[in-house]
Amino acid sequence: MKEFGPTPSNGQRVMRYLAALAAVAALALGVATSAGAAERVTRADVWFVKQGKPFAVKRSVAGVAGAMRALLAGPTPRERARGVTTAIPSKTPLLRAEVAHRIVTIDVGGRFAMGLDAGSLTARVGQLVRTARALPGVKAVKVRVEGGVPIGLFPGYDLSRPVLKPYVPERPAAPSLRETQQLLSDLGFMAQSGVTGSPDGQTSNAVLAFQKWARLSRDGSLTTEVSEMIARSTRPQPAFRKPGHRIEVHLGRQLALLIDHNRVTRLVHISSGAGGATPRGAFHVFRKERYSWSVPFKVWLPWASYFVGGVAFHEFGSVPTYAASHGCVRVNHYDAPMLYEFATHGTPVDVFWEPGA
Amino acid sequence: MNLRQVAGALAGGVGLVIGVLGAAVVIGVAIVALGIPDEVRADDAPAPTATAGARAPEELVVGLSLADPALQAGVVRGRDVILARGLEVEVARKLADRLGIARLRFVAVRPASRLLASRDAWDIALMSIDSPRAPAAVDITMPYLATDQALIVRRGLEPPGTRARLRTLQLCAVKRTAGAQAAAAVGADRTALRAPNVDRLLQLVQTGACDVAVVDAIKAGRLVEGKRSLLGPVSGRLLHGSGQVVVVSRNSGLDPRRVDRAVNRLRVNGTLSKLARFWLGVDPAALRVVR
Repeated sequence: MKEFGPTPSNGQRVMRYLAALAAVAALALGVATSAGAAERVTRADVWFVKQGKPFAVKRSVAGVAGAMRALLAGPTPRERARGVTTAIPSKTPLLRAEVAHRIVTIDVGGRFAMGLDAGSLTARVGQLVRTARALPGVKAVKVRVEGGVPIGLFPGYDLSRPVLKPYVPERPAAPSLRETQQLLSDLGFMAQSGVTGSPDGQTSNAVLAFQKWARLSRDGSLTTEVSEMIARSTRPQPAFRKPGHRIEVHLGRQLALLIDHNRVTRLVHISSGAGGATPRGAFHVFRKERYSWSVPFKVWLPWASYFVGGVAFHEFGSVPTYAASHGCVRVNHYDAPMLYEFATHGTPVDVFWEPGA
Repeated sequence: MNLRQVAGALAGGVGLVIGVLGAAVVIGVAIVALGIPDEVRADDAPAPTATAGARAPEELVVGLSLADPALQAGVVRGRDVILARGLEVEVARKLADRLGIARLRFVAVRPASRLLASRDAWDIALMSIDSPRAPAAVDITMPYLATDQALIVRRGLEPPGTRARLRTLQLCAVKRTAGAQAAAAVGADRTALRAPNVDRLLQLVQTGACDVAVVDAIKAGRLVEGKRSLLGPVSGRLLHGSGQVVVVSRNSGLDPRRVDRAVNRLRVNGTLSKLARFWLGVDPAALRVVR
C-alpha cells in the first residue's frame, strides 16, 4: 500500500520507535503502580451503623473495589448479633470502583436508591463516603447510581460533585442568650423589653418562672440543659377553659397566669401566703391602689390589686421561690406594673392547688 | 385434531380478530370524524390514543427540573432521568396510563427556569403556576393540585373556620413570601409577624407567640412532620390562586383537552389525593378553604 506524504528518514523512524517504547513503558509502570496500590491487601475501616450512628469494623480488603465489596456485603452474622447494621439495601451490586486523581468513583446498582426513609438514604451514602475516605490517599468520592448522577434522592448530599466528607445532620446549636431570652418572651415568661442579649435580673426572673412551670429545681440559673428545655417548650396552657380576661394563681407552682381568651399571655413568678394563708376559690379584683398602706404590717404595698378581703397582688422586694407571705401574692418589680395594668376591676381570679402539685 | 388442524384453526381465529379490530378502528375513526361529543365517552376508560389532526405519541416524554425532592428526584444519565421518583413522577405515570401511552421517558432540564424554554425536548412537564394564563407556545391543564397557602395552628388552638375568626388571631409568615402576602390580605386585627426564615416561623408557632402560620400548602405537611408534639395541625387553606399544573408542549401532538380530562379523572377518582398524602404528608386540596 502506498503511503502519502513525505517518507520519514531512518533517524526519524528510530526516534518515533523510541518514543513509542517509552510511552508503553511509562503506561505499563503506571498501571502496575496503581494496580499494586489498588490491589494490595490492607486492613481498612468499613463503615456500618450501630445504634443509629456510624460504626467502623476492620476488614482485610484489596483496594477500593475490595473495600466497597466488603461494605455492600454488609455486617457478618456475628457483627449483626452485636447490633451492627447497614443502611445499604442487601444485594446492591457494585458496578464500578476506580480511583483517579485521588478521587474515588463508586457506581452502584439501582437498589442503592431503594426506599423513602430520609435517614436511611442519608446514612447509606455516609457509609459509602466514610469507607472510601478511610482508604489512604483518597480525597473525595463521586457517587453514581447505574452510571448516572443522583439528584434529590439522598437528603443532605449534592452528588453532582465529589463528596469531600460525610454529611452530618446539623445538631441544633445551643441557643445564644439572646435567642433564649427571645424564646422566654415568646413563651410568655418575660416581656419583649427583656430581650437584651445580656444576663440580668429580668432574665433570671423569667428563668425562675420557667423552672417553676416545668417543675425543675428553682434557682433562676440558665444552664445548657435549661436552655435546651426552653427551646423544646410550647406555650403553657391555662388550667381551665373560660372566656375572657382572667388570672389563674397556681399555688403549687407559685405562678400567676395572665390569660386572654384561653391564651396565656404572661406567666409571673409569685410568692403566695405561707402555710396556705392565701384563700383558695374564685374571686374578682375589687380594689386597686397604686400605693396601698398595709395597716397590720405597717408597710407600703406598691401596685396593689385586691381580690379577696385584704389579700392582693402587689410588688414586694423579696419574692422567694416558695410561699412566704402573710396571705398576699407577692410579685417582683419587673412584673408588678404589668400585672397591675392587666388586673382591671372585675377581673376574675381563680386561686387553686393545681393537680399533681 | 392434529398439529396442522390446530395451526389452521389458530390462523382462522387470528384472521377473525384482525377483522374485528379493523372494523373497530374504522368505527373509531368515523366517530372521531363525525365529532361525537367528548361527554359521551366513558370517563373511566383510558382515552383513545389518536385524535384527529394530532400525532399520537408512542412515547410520552416528561420534562423534570428535579427541583424539589418530594415532587421530582432521580438519577440523571446524559439528559435522561433513569430512576425517577416523587409526586409529579407518579402523576406523569398515571397520566400516561390514562392517555394510553405505554412508553414513558423522563428528561432532565435544569435549572427549573429553563423548563419552558426547552419545551421542544419534552411533551409534558409538571410545574407550579400562579397565573391561569398559559405561557407562550405551551398549553396548561387545570391544576392537578390546588396548592394555595395552608394554615399551621399552634397547639391547643381550635382551628379557625372562617376569615372573621382568623382576623382575631396572631398570624405569621416568612417575610417576602406568598404566605406573607396572604397573611397581610386577611386583614387581621394585629399585624402579621414576619419571620426571617422557616425555622423561626415554626418557633413562633411552637411558643405561641403566633397563633397561625401561613405557608405554602405544598410544603406544610413536611414542615409539621416530626413536630406533632410542638405544633398543631395543618388545618385549612387560604385561596391564593396557585397550583400545580401539567404543561403540554404544542409540538407534542397531544391534545391538551385530553390531558385536562385525564387530570380531572385522576382528581375525581382520588388518585391525586392519595399521591399527595403519600409524598407531601397532607393533601393540600383536601384542606378546608377558610372564607
